[in-house]
Amino acid sequence: MRTGVVLAGVGGQGVLTLSRVLGEALLDKGYDVRIGEVHGLSQRGGSVVVFLRYGDRVYAPTVAPGEGDVMVALELIEAARRIRYLRRGGLAVANRLVLPPPMSGEPPSIEDLVESMRRAGVRTVVVDGMKVAERAGSSLSLNMAMLGALVATREIDLELSEAENAVRRIFKGRILEVNLAALRGGYKALKELSEECEG
Amino acid sequence: MVKHVIDGEAGEVKLLLGNEAIARGALEAGVSSATAYPGTPSTEILESLASVAEKYGVYVEWSANEKVALEIGIGASMMGLRAIVAMKHVGVNVASDPLMSLGYAGAVGGLVVVTADDPNAYSSQNEQDNRLYGVHSYIPVFEASSPQEAKDMTRDLFELSEKYATAVFLRSTTRLSHTRGPVRLGDVREKNKAAFHRDPARWALLPPYNLEKHGEAVRRIERLSRDLESFPYNRVEGEGDVAIVTGGVAYNYVKEALEKLGIGAEVFKVSSTYPLPRGLALRALRREKVIVVEELEPILEWQLKIMAQEEGASSKILGKEFFPRVGELNTRIVAEGLARALGVEYSEEEPPKVDVQLPRRPPTMCPGCGHRSTYYGVWLASKKLKVKPIYPNDIGCYTLGFFPPFQMADLTWSMGSSIGIGSGIARFSDEPVIAFVGDSTFFHAGMPGLVNAVYNGIPLVLVVMDNSITAMTGHQPHPGSGVGPLGEPRPSVKIEDVARALGVEHVKVVDAYDVRGVRDAVVEAVEYARAQRKPAVIVSKRPCALMVAREAVKRGVELPVYVIDQEKCIKCGVCTDRFACPAIVKENGVYRILPELCVGCGVCAQICPVKAIHVGGERR
Repeated sequence: MRTGVVLAGVGGQGVLTLSRVLGEALLDKGYDVRIGEVHGLSQRGGSVVVFLRYGDRVYAPTVAPGEGDVMVALELIEAARRIRYLRRGGLAVANRLVLPPPMSGEPPSIEDLVESMRRAGVRTVVVDGMKVAERAGSSLSLNMAMLGALVATREIDLELSEAENAVRRIFKGRILEVNLAALRGGYKALKELSEECEG
Repeated sequence: MVKHVIDGEAGEVKLLLGNEAIARGALEAGVSSATAYPGTPSTEILESLASVAEKYGVYVEWSANEKVALEIGIGASMMGLRAIVAMKHVGVNVASDPLMSLGYAGAVGGLVVVTADDPNAYSSQNEQDNRLYGVHSYIPVFEASSPQEAKDMTRDLFELSEKYATAVFLRSTTRLSHTRGPVRLGDVREKNKAAFHRDPARWALLPPYNLEKHGEAVRRIERLSRDLESFPYNRVEGEGDVAIVTGGVAYNYVKEALEKLGIGAEVFKVSSTYPLPRGLALRALRREKVIVVEELEPILEWQLKIMAQEEGASSKILGKEFFPRVGELNTRIVAEGLARALGVEYSEEEPPKVDVQLPRRPPTMCPGCGHRSTYYGVWLASKKLKVKPIYPNDIGCYTLGFFPPFQMADLTWSMGSSIGIGSGIARFSDEPVIAFVGDSTFFHAGMPGLVNAVYNGIPLVLVVMDNSITAMTGHQPHPGSGVGPLGEPRPSVKIEDVARALGVEHVKVVDAYDVRGVRDAVVEAVEYARAQRKPAVIVSKRPCALMVAREAVKRGVELPVYVIDQEKCIKCGVCTDRFACPAIVKENGVYRILPELCVGCGVCAQICPVKAIHVGGERR
């Protein structure tokens, strides 16, 4: 069994770091992991997608279209752009944020994007990752807030404490504290959201 | 985060990029020399070796271009030392001259040339398949499928290189170089001792020795084709009626595609792509049907078909008629191709698709980027002169001038070509030709074009976009940067000095943020080139804004933040639509500067027609 994770966002939002923390945490757990990254020009404010696959034995570094199980997206246009990598019935966890590309005219609204993803057959949950990150101490911790939300969905085999351990190993000092707070905040935000839905 | 990642004790397992794994393999092999010119997807190989260079005593060099990088490696090999040379696929074109001689003369100390190819051309002008260079140069080509294998194979290739007295190609692709996977580290071997291997009859490629060397190269490849059957990274796995021959990253897709299809096959995982080991090929050719799965060009397929013909094998060899030659593969494409080749039913549902129109998001120049203000100044000059210049452009972040609103890249070709091709156009054009080139690209391949323009009287205006670093690949230093790969001080070669030394009489240095200064310099240069029929050079300088911003954060320096005075703003849109700084947005009809993106360059304040922009915003 293998699980395919799609990580989407805009260059500079921290998608690569998010994939690295998630990868380290899953590796610690004894899984085989492959992370397919793209570097270079794409980082200059462009559209970024990273693939992470884990399981007992993983070969392919990329999630082929229609094969992903879960997506975590730091921005909603990018979430919508990359849902083709998810299977029907897959889950997308997206940050409540639309960053319109420069000179692109009026962007689609948050509601339009989320509804169109749902119409396409993808379960979609939206959390306010920016709010969580700012509360944790820095908007730069958005990626860790979204990782927390992803962990809370229980779509990947990872406990919050295991994600925390990976964060502790990778970061130091104040950045570590902010990132841990963001991770926990994102986890809590999604939990509360799902309780609301159930309730 | 790149720091020291490849350091560690034997037995330790690390989540490494393919490129980091290659670097670790070289380290374990006792590499003495590592040279490269940065280029995606190859850059992290040298970067990660640089991070441990002091500890392990490895000579690490960012070379001026790939040709020099390879030549340094050849020199180190002649000294009996192990050397790794890394470059992106198109870099091998630049290094191809010494490479062809290397195929004849071979190596003493193990010499591994890494070519990092880019199927799908994610960060490149083409997706050329450099496995063909192996055929062309008589240098054997090897491919790994995973970071662990890349590490182990790199280590062992130094040994093989010395045993056969040949350089070797390690061919990677974006999906290996930029894939992270667990890698178990091994022991670090001692380095070879340095001593020049004097052998003029071997190294001086003069007649008749060179014909002899050609013969030796042919025989060496034949010998490798025999011996590599037992190369430990070539494997035959699984059982079934058909043989599948594959290698590199494609092997991974084959493994998972077979699982998906629920089909058994005898999978030949070929890691020595060229020469294809004859014994291994013959084993595959025992099957009636042989399917070859490889990305890009049919290199394995051609070799197999030739051998089948030579050996009188009757197997049906299927390949590129079922798998695309353009773009990269994935598990789905391979599963579909295999199903068609095998005549089995296979279908997958259409992937989900949204029904709203999504805006494109091409990469953009960063807030505070000196390229943007330079383009703006050049655009102003063209308005003032009432001309429609032709804009040959080159390879670097400034290539983004292709996109609206600037659209100032009429061509981008290969490193330094803006000057050469621009000269060809300028020789025959009535409109002025204004070429753009970056600082690193200028040192890499721009100088011959410029001296040629001087000598031949070409009225070319060359604007050097000098941000003092190789920015696009992640800030590697070059001969103008004033620092070496470890950040240590180095001489800094000034581009304006080089231009003057090459014979350019009209050389102006401007501050890239000084939009009017750029404009006036361009007006002057265009008039000069037109009147004198000579080239003119403008060096537009500003350190990369990304680097400046990072440095400020590191030092705890607060950069100023600009703000728009809403009472003065006439909503003309110049700052967003004509200047296009990503830090300036229009929200519900109101223009606003995003404090989290503004780096305080102040160029927007210069270009605002009503001076509505000033310092005074608050950073969040």
